[in-house]
Amino acid sequence: MTTQENSLGGIYILTKAIRTVARNAALQCYGVISLSPGNVGESVSRFFNKESDYGVIVVTDEDGISLELNVVLEYGVRIKTVTDLVAESVKYAVEKTMAVPVKRVDVHVRGLRVSNPD
Amino acid sequence: MSQQNTKYVLPDEAERHRLLQSPLDGDGLMLLFEAGLIWLTTNQAYVNSLNVFPVPDGDTGTNMVLTMQAAFKEADQNRTKNAGETARNFAQGALMGARGNSGVILSQIWRGFARALDHYETVDSELLMRAMEEARNTAYKGVVKPVEGTILTVIKDMTTGAQEAQENGASLSSMLVKIVEAGDASVKNTPELLPVLKQAGVVDSGGTGLYYIFEGMLRMLRGESLDPSGAILRPLAELDLADAMETVEEGQDYEVVIDFAPFPGFSLEQYYKDLEGIGVSIQVGEGDGIYRMHIHTELARRFEPITYTETQGVVKKIAMENLQDQMDSRKSKEVELVLTPVVPGQIAVVAVSPGRGLSSIFASLGVAAIVEGGQTMNPSVQELVAAFENLPTDKIIILPNNKNIILAAQNAAKVSVKQIGIIPTRNAPQGFAAMLRLDPEGTIEENVESMSEATWEVHTGDITISTRSVEIDGVNVEKGEVIALFDGKLCSAAPTIEGALDKLCEVADMDEVERVTLFYGEDLKQNQANQLAKRIQDKYPDVELEIQDGGQPHYQLIVAFE
Repeated sequence: MTTQENSLGGIYILTKAIRTVARNAALQCYGVISLSPGNVGESVSRFFNKESDYGVIVVTDEDGISLELNVVLEYGVRIKTVTDLVAESVKYAVEKTMAVPVKRVDVHVRGLRVSNPD
Repeated sequence: MSQQNTKYVLPDEAERHRLLQSPLDGDGLMLLFEAGLIWLTTNQAYVNSLNVFPVPDGDTGTNMVLTMQAAFKEADQNRTKNAGETARNFAQGALMGARGNSGVILSQIWRGFARALDHYETVDSELLMRAMEEARNTAYKGVVKPVEGTILTVIKDMTTGAQEAQENGASLSSMLVKIVEAGDASVKNTPELLPVLKQAGVVDSGGTGLYYIFEGMLRMLRGESLDPSGAILRPLAELDLADAMETVEEGQDYEVVIDFAPFPGFSLEQYYKDLEGIGVSIQVGEGDGIYRMHIHTELARRFEPITYTETQGVVKKIAMENLQDQMDSRKSKEVELVLTPVVPGQIAVVAVSPGRGLSSIFASLGVAAIVEGGQTMNPSVQELVAAFENLPTDKIIILPNNKNIILAAQNAAKVSVKQIGIIPTRNAPQGFAAMLRLDPEGTIEENVESMSEATWEVHTGDITISTRSVEIDGVNVEKGEVIALFDGKLCSAAPTIEGALDKLCEVADMDEVERVTLFYGEDLKQNQANQLAKRIQDKYPDVELEIQDGGQPHYQLIVAFE
């Protein structure tokens, strides 16, 4: 959760909201096929709740947010370029919509989908 | 790569004739790829300009060019007569060199294209159609929810064009004609499919880039120029004359712009060629049958373009400017700022300012350091941190004076070891209002509170010229119209500054306003500002009026309502 102040009071942004923004930004990147559960806890929650926002782990501390994304990419794209783009777009989207500085984005490629073997 | 430095030489008539006799071998394919790359490079700046606010990067053209360059280089280093291998090398290079989202998609397009050609030594029209189909399929597989109105739509429509050509038994070159035609229609249709494009008044940049690649191939086959300095006719709106000032070359002191209606039989290529003998920075645009020519020449030859153009058509209008003189007067305006000296232990203020006039007002109000920056030139976090570190005190307040800079200021505050207070000022007048409340001997917290409070007491209007047609906040704006923003929100569009200012005053609710200050920008002269001020005074005799030379770029007027 992050906290901001304005002249009227506090604004609290929950991790879940940040996850949704990050997830959508990642899925809009060309080459990203899906997100994938990042740890056991997420795998379990995905098993019980198909709609859950798995694949994005958010850690907040006083100087900003750190994000960890677990993605599945299309086989055949240049992974370095796509992961760079994912990190950049996620950072941009979160900072733009929430005005919270993102200090770190880690992208884990959990798998590749092979549509066309070469 | 060599293409960028040396002039591209079109293959000669015999070579083109050979190419037009399908099927294509590896060498023929390379000529097509090269032509696509060159033509895309020629149009790179235009593709870059098609970015949709608020997407941060306007570099689609550059990314696609870099991807195509990497692809071409790989294929060039492993030249072979085998078309399938050539395409595979090309796709491999594109994959390794893919830059940006559009570059990744482009690399997928070539990957599919190459897969269809695998094991074929030559390409005929049927194989080209299959390659296009495979390119389309591969491109679409890279994304879960394809968005239409993008490069994906354009490759899809081009493929449909190829299929239609194949049904009519077209040759390879006439299939390429169909592909380019379909691509053109598809690009023009992108705003209908993607609302953000329509709102921003642009077509999709990636799709346009792809179109230029195929158009380049076709132009090469037809023997048309691909060179950026060559005879290219642009719509008038695309003529980029604004930054001509920054690129004055030694000895090319005069800028001449001529509007003319060409005589029948006018040859653009010849016209360009003859002008090249007279000056540099040649651009020719066309709109409604009138041509506009732009050139930089030396002092002694400034009348030659006119005399020459008179032989080519009916001259309608001539504009001539002495660039050297303008540059000189611009330089002389750069005055030294007298900044307030800092007492260690007291609070010092850093202000971000977009123009020299505004900077000197900030200086006179007691600012200790100025960082240059504004709407289109945001200062980096590093620049802000450097400004903090250079001041001999550890208590600093920053006035970002632009909503795009507030975030950078917050980041800079986190990086700096000093105690930093941020006043979230969104424009210069809010910054001035905040400065009046500064108490250098107080604490950061007290100052942040009272200075932030002061920013709510001032409302700000901005008047500027729209750079393109767009619809925002329910207001329709045509390119070139004067628009007024009140507290950052678009409130009106009018053909003149006077009209926009009137609307602005209506929105500002002048009954509640005691004082109006006009800060006129670098594009406006002082007597124009005086006339505008008089106009307000006549309408609202009770308000107190002040005029200041703001010197800010882009914004003709910044108006503070207090």
